[in-house]
Amino acid sequence: MQLPYPIRIISLVLAATIGGYFLTSAVIIFLSAIVPMDKPDAIVASSLFSYAIYTAAVIWIFVVRDSKRAWLGMLIPTLMFGGAGLLISRMAS
Amino acid sequence: MSELNQPAKEQESFRQAMGWLHTWGGLVASWALFTIFLTGTIGVFDEDITHWMKPEVTAVSDFDPAAMTEQQRVAAIKKAQAYLQAHASDSHFWRIGLPTETDPGIRVSWRDQQNAAQDTLLSLKTGEPMPVVENRETEGGHHFVHMHYEFHAGMAGIWFVGFFTMIMLVALISGIIIHKRIFKDFFTFRQNKGQRSWLDGHNASAVLTLPFQLMIAYTGLVIFLSIYMPAGVLANYSNPQQFFAELLDEPMHRPETGVHADVVDLSVLFQRAEVMMGKPGRFMSVEHPGDSSAVTKVFGWFDEKDYYGQLLRDEIGNVQFDATNGDVMNLNPPGEYDKGTPMAVQRVMRIMHFANFGGYSVRWLYFIMGMAGALMMATGAILFLVKRRQKSLNEFGAQTARVYRVIEVLNIAAISGLAVACIGYFWLNRLIPFDIADRAAWEIKGFFYLWLLMLVHSACRPATKAWLEQWSLFTLLALLLPVMNLITTGHWLVSYWQTGDWVSVGFELTVLVFGLMSLGLVLFLRRKLTATERYSQPAKPSEAIS
Repeated sequence: MQLPYPIRIISLVLAATIGGYFLTSAVIIFLSAIVPMDKPDAIVASSLFSYAIYTAAVIWIFVVRDSKRAWLGMLIPTLMFGGAGLLISRMAS
Repeated sequence: MSELNQPAKEQESFRQAMGWLHTWGGLVASWALFTIFLTGTIGVFDEDITHWMKPEVTAVSDFDPAAMTEQQRVAAIKKAQAYLQAHASDSHFWRIGLPTETDPGIRVSWRDQQNAAQDTLLSLKTGEPMPVVENRETEGGHHFVHMHYEFHAGMAGIWFVGFFTMIMLVALISGIIIHKRIFKDFFTFRQNKGQRSWLDGHNASAVLTLPFQLMIAYTGLVIFLSIYMPAGVLANYSNPQQFFAELLDEPMHRPETGVHADVVDLSVLFQRAEVMMGKPGRFMSVEHPGDSSAVTKVFGWFDEKDYYGQLLRDEIGNVQFDATNGDVMNLNPPGEYDKGTPMAVQRVMRIMHFANFGGYSVRWLYFIMGMAGALMMATGAILFLVKRRQKSLNEFGAQTARVYRVIEVLNIAAISGLAVACIGYFWLNRLIPFDIADRAAWEIKGFFYLWLLMLVHSACRPATKAWLEQWSLFTLLALLLPVMNLITTGHWLVSYWQTGDWVSVGFELTVLVFGLMSLGLVLFLRRKLTATERYSQPAKPSEAIS
């Protein structure tokens, strides 16, 4: 089933801006849990990479150009990285 | 846009996807990014522009702030506190700045009941606000700096700029990918070849400034890291203040209690802080004055020149006191930067963005790179239409022509319209009467009204005429600026030269150079326009600018 063109574009743009942002946030949470530094330093160090991760996510979405794959490609790693990051942080503290 | 989702060879389809992303992402962001880039580039010289915009201060400036004695500094703090207690006792925040080269008075600022920033300049002698005729109220060059990171719209503006800067990163990366011959393109410029010339101009300015642009976009985003990317903090701290306290090794921010407590004599704390830091103070702040949670911070003296060549700046030093009883809460001694490595990295990135680590040579380098970057965005936006002029690509079906026209109007308003608004801002600085209330705000409002006027103008006129008329207006405003300055203040290029005011000489010369470049553009556009008319072709929109 093909969605109409404008809807597909809007879906991709939303996956890139919102999905990409959540994925980036999840990766930061994961990295700041595993970077071997004091917590505040680890958070800053991980966050410094955020815009590179975000850019890569957006570019990936427009290479895939498929709404469903784009959203799944953002959501699944978001849940994995975010969940693992929170889990490791809780266990360490 | 129909190329999307069509099967093709893997490599080609990848490049096509990047081409699509670069074209549309670039176009949508180009107007905002051009504005951010142009005003940011002008803002590189914010202090110098402020100097020109305050001619009265220049006239009385035999004052050397670094030569102030301890007694004078303490007396200044006393005067400032007396003023703030009388006029801003219900404020949540005070700041007192000692005189600087551009501000030869005591700068007091506070946040009023509506949380709006207020400030005034007090005379060193009387402790009363300086008469406006000795110090015209203006945002000066800071207007451009604020424009480029928040559009004078506070937090909403910061997010707005951040959003478009992310698109810029994406457009830069996708632009690099679609580029097959990056170095060859740099040395290619095919003159008078219409679309080819625009493409070559776009490519050459992009390749020349590519490392600079990646750096400036990324470091710009990093400045607001804690605003844009709070995930790491939110996931680990229930109270973000705790994070900042640990990170900076400082006592936690104290929330307001609502219990009244007087602020002690700030000049005594200022003096004690100077002894503790072993150097003079430069400014101090008070959080929640009048509340039992009040905290004051005194910051050490610094001179921009001390930091030349330092990408990782030394600490200026600060001391934090309980403002209700004078207890020392924290000493952050001046000297080598001693926070963690990630913070040091962020600090280096900030300093790289602010362009204040190497005096005028670095500032000029940033200015030239920034202008080339702005040129890249402008040529990119224009190229979009030039490419579609011969043959419409019909991306929007029946609405295509209308959408192209909207893009065209926005191009003109964003590029030449903004240029007119920027130069007009300097005229407003001289023409708005001294004694009008909120004078500084009126200068900025005038800037926006002028910009809006240019938008309306470009919507009402055929494209070629609109470009021509707006650049003609810019040329006039730029070339006549010294004359207008002479009439309104009695100063101008030559008198600045005679008195050795090199900053103002540099300012007016730079404006004149831009005026001359714009004149060249106007003459070029006129030639094109008459050529088009001679062949009596029906003038299609934007025909003559290719």
